[in-house]
Amino acid sequence: MDANGNWEEDDDEEFEFSRNYFLAKELASSSAKKSKHKLTDIDVVDEQELRDAASKIEPNHEYEITLLLDSYKTMYPEWIFALRCGFGLLMYGFGSKKVLIEDFASTELTEYSVVVINGYLQTINLKQVVIALAEVLWDQMKAKQRVSHRDLPKSQQPSNSQSMDDLLTFLDQAEIEDGDFFVCVVIHNIDGPGLRDSETQRYLARLAACARIRVVASIDHVNAPLFWDKNMAHTQFNWCWYHVPTFAPYKVEGMFYPMILAHGSASQTVKTATIVLLSLTRNAQSVFKILAEHQLSHPDEGMPISDLYSVCRERFLVSSQITLNSHLTEFKDHELVKIKKHSDGQDCLHIPLTAEALQKVVLEIN
Amino acid sequence: MAPSRSVADSTPPSTTSEVVENDFQPFFVLHKASSRRKDRKPTAQGKLWKRNELSSSFPQGAKKLGGRMTEECDHHLFQQLQIEAFDIVWAKIESTIKDVLRDLNAIVFNDIQKWVLECFNATKLLGEPTIAEATRSFPTLNNTTPGQMFTAFVSTRNIEFVDDILTFEELGHFLKSHGCHVAKLSSLEFSSKNGIAGCLKALLQEFLGCAIDSADISILASWYREQVNYNKPLLLIVNDLERCCGSVLTDFILMLSEWVVKVPIIFIFGVATTVDASRNILPSHALERLCPSRFMLGTPVERMDAIVEAVLLKHCTTFSIGYKVAVFLRNYFINQDGTVTSFIRALKVACLLHFSMEPLSVIHGQTLAEDQKEGKSALSPETLLKYIDELPLCARNQTVDHPTQKSMSEGLSELVTVQKLWSTAVLCLYEAGKYSRVRLLDLFCEALSQDLYLSRVSDCHVGDEKDRDLSSTNDPRQQYSIMKSGGIIGKIVCKVRDIPTGMLYQLIESWEKLTADVSEIHEKLKILQSSVRCEDGKSSRKSSKDNSKRYPVNIDKDARMLNLQAIAFLDYLLRNFLKPVEGMPFHEIFCFKNVEKLQLVLIGDPRRRIQVDLLEFHKILRCSCCSKSGNALLPSRHDSSIMYSLAQEHGDLINLHDWFQSFRTIVIQHKNKRKQNSKQSPSSKKRKDINGSADQNEASIQARFCRAVTELQITGLVRMPSKRRPDFAQRVAFGL
Repeated sequence: MDANGNWEEDDDEEFEFSRNYFLAKELASSSAKKSKHKLTDIDVVDEQELRDAASKIEPNHEYEITLLLDSYKTMYPEWIFALRCGFGLLMYGFGSKKVLIEDFASTELTEYSVVVINGYLQTINLKQVVIALAEVLWDQMKAKQRVSHRDLPKSQQPSNSQSMDDLLTFLDQAEIEDGDFFVCVVIHNIDGPGLRDSETQRYLARLAACARIRVVASIDHVNAPLFWDKNMAHTQFNWCWYHVPTFAPYKVEGMFYPMILAHGSASQTVKTATIVLLSLTRNAQSVFKILAEHQLSHPDEGMPISDLYSVCRERFLVSSQITLNSHLTEFKDHELVKIKKHSDGQDCLHIPLTAEALQKVVLEIN
Repeated sequence: MAPSRSVADSTPPSTTSEVVENDFQPFFVLHKASSRRKDRKPTAQGKLWKRNELSSSFPQGAKKLGGRMTEECDHHLFQQLQIEAFDIVWAKIESTIKDVLRDLNAIVFNDIQKWVLECFNATKLLGEPTIAEATRSFPTLNNTTPGQMFTAFVSTRNIEFVDDILTFEELGHFLKSHGCHVAKLSSLEFSSKNGIAGCLKALLQEFLGCAIDSADISILASWYREQVNYNKPLLLIVNDLERCCGSVLTDFILMLSEWVVKVPIIFIFGVATTVDASRNILPSHALERLCPSRFMLGTPVERMDAIVEAVLLKHCTTFSIGYKVAVFLRNYFINQDGTVTSFIRALKVACLLHFSMEPLSVIHGQTLAEDQKEGKSALSPETLLKYIDELPLCARNQTVDHPTQKSMSEGLSELVTVQKLWSTAVLCLYEAGKYSRVRLLDLFCEALSQDLYLSRVSDCHVGDEKDRDLSSTNDPRQQYSIMKSGGIIGKIVCKVRDIPTGMLYQLIESWEKLTADVSEIHEKLKILQSSVRCEDGKSSRKSSKDNSKRYPVNIDKDARMLNLQAIAFLDYLLRNFLKPVEGMPFHEIFCFKNVEKLQLVLIGDPRRRIQVDLLEFHKILRCSCCSKSGNALLPSRHDSSIMYSLAQEHGDLINLHDWFQSFRTIVIQHKNKRKQNSKQSPSSKKRKDINGSADQNEASIQARFCRAVTELQITGLVRMPSKRRPDFAQRVAFGL
């Protein structure tokens, strides 16, 4: 019977998996004995030269990749149909899917507002995203109101002071006559560093469950489905899975990963630091600028935290030590600053960048 | 505070710099909805107007815009029809499912409601505090009551909690409709992070309906003593007891037990495993505060069978599935640990794909809409022809000409008739199968099998040579063919042969109810019933004689004859009506059978697929330089694909030096050939150029290696070196 055949197939897969695992263990024991080469034995070129070469890598199979992306366009009607029927789309397969999804959104979702979340960044403030979504929906409701001549209750207008629950309730229960009206949220990638904590995933699931929200997301990690329980995957996100390998390079997505051959992987480059800073608030950028200016003026010294606090207070960038500490914690988490002990025992802040690199960063964030 | 730069309201990107800027924003608005939506109205009147405009301006439109615009409008209109068809069909299915589940839970819900009233009345008998006592900010202790709270443990018998969410939502609505105050909390509130204060805030918000900043139980006590809130039971539902943090829940119970006089809360806990699970979560001093009662909900299999009966059998002409799809859904239900919600979602995806992939399915949606308006239950040829003509051009291509349309309408009518007969036959078999504990989902799958049907027909072919009348049950060959068919249906028939006479009478009565509206089957059943009455008459006449010696033997023989006649009836059903529609023309209109597509869309398998993508790179891109060589490692192959193939040669630890050297060896294969060719004409300048390009090549190779490792890291197939092993990367995935 077919049912028996299915079970046998599953058993075969299980057997193959366990066999491969033990074979790998055997290889491990043998390779551990044989291979004692060190990473430092490789004659690595200069780090800057390596980065320049990385930015100039010639694309491989560019023509075939373009053909593959074009072939996916035949699936666009199916995708828009699923969205309009209330499902979420989840794209997976090797290769960056950013261009593909944004092309789909730009060509097929022109009748809906689209908000893009770049989940591959290190920091995502999800409440700010939800506020933006609520504002977009509110604007469209106002446009509808002009057409239908209905008054909208002003108390429902989204604002920064509202809680996440209130905002999600608004997105879910907004009264619009058109049943086919929604705001589309595109997430690259939903398993990215900025979205991996469980609380964020729960909020994203609640967001996807809102009646006026549709989600189109991508995953790149093989274990991404482990983020979700059945309520999230089957009910809230309500995924339709689409296998769309592109083999396009992970240019943007891989920006934050250190190069394996580069020495001192903890060091920050100009581009990486700039990207992190641009994702922070303006006040945070200003605080960092003060640190940078001090370091450029006094190359051999770090800036004492107390001095930084005084300057920030003078410039009205922070109102309390707690606020400053939150900024510093953010900097430390992204390895933008390091704390060193001064000769007199005071904690000093140091930016682990060269003077030239630091000048470039300051110019970039202005 | 300065406005955040992270909020970017940008127009569609038109330059590279804008694209780059957007790439590094946490989020941005890609574009806002265009005003074209105003022109598209979902109402029928709008559709008719648009269609008339399209037809009237067709010649002019063809001249100005060409066929492209016409085709685009057609596709747009067709998708709108698809969506409407899906909405209509799924709304019916969803409504049916909700009704079924509500009916299944009705008995237990009523029992719980009665229990709540009894508990509430018992609480009243203990006496009521005065207004002054109720509004005090500390609890009132009564010596006669040690602070016990009435508690219901509802055993859901679900492995996964997702089904419980829906069940307890329904329970909450049910109890609210019967005049209770109901609060629902989940295990997320009873977490160590949330703490007891978070629980109280959530509880107050549930009852009072607004956010409360302070966690003060006296607020609830004052609220409960208000005029409109008094005299109603206070219920707290926690649908997943076993997922709660034990310490937080314990503190919560102990605190509420002190306030039980002022705030007589009644607990309803959902328990997934056994009703004794509370002992594993709560300490004894908390359990002493609870006065437990136990309730049992139906099993997932019972709910599943009820849904299959209602949706796929009794409403089989709304939406139907093929044999392979049915088997897949059954296995999916089992693999998802008996989660009904997962099965329902799979059914919804199947419905989505049906209307997305099958152009003719739109006809069905429209006919259902028409049935809703006029109350018709069958398709009429005129209605069908009307809708075929109204289909957009892209869908009309599926139907060639008018004679085909006419045959389609006749075929559809026959199809619906056969489907209804089939479902009635399955339901009759299911009634008989209840005596042998046959699950309806299993029977449903077997009844859909075209191969099994053909096998049964060929087995009974010999029997057709003789008289088909019920009297032919004496033929041992025919009996044998029924029994030997095996499977679930064979099991049912064997059981019918052995059931007692009393049960057989009940079974026949059930069949009578099921076949009341189906004359083809009901007539045969009448013959069986008349035989039953004849047998009864014979038995009564024989008993009137004073022939005590023969009496037991005669009764046994008569009973056996009755069983055989019942088997003959089942055989009649099997041979004539258990014909799957999958083999009939036009079944695609409401029958979905693309199981491969369903599996792809329903079950994502990124762990396996991503690895296959890397290992079978050439099959996906189909480039000429790699396809011919198959799995051979060529320099032209994708770098990450090369790297992952090389990783297969290592164990769970990959030496980075070896990995790099292997990669380098493969990549420079082609370039070595170039060097050999260039050495044929040596010169000092060329040698310098070669050295320079060699350095650049070395940097490029290293950069490509780094990028490939990063890409494998993004996919999670490789973990970066740790401080303990700085020279090794760790493999994460083994096998596909």
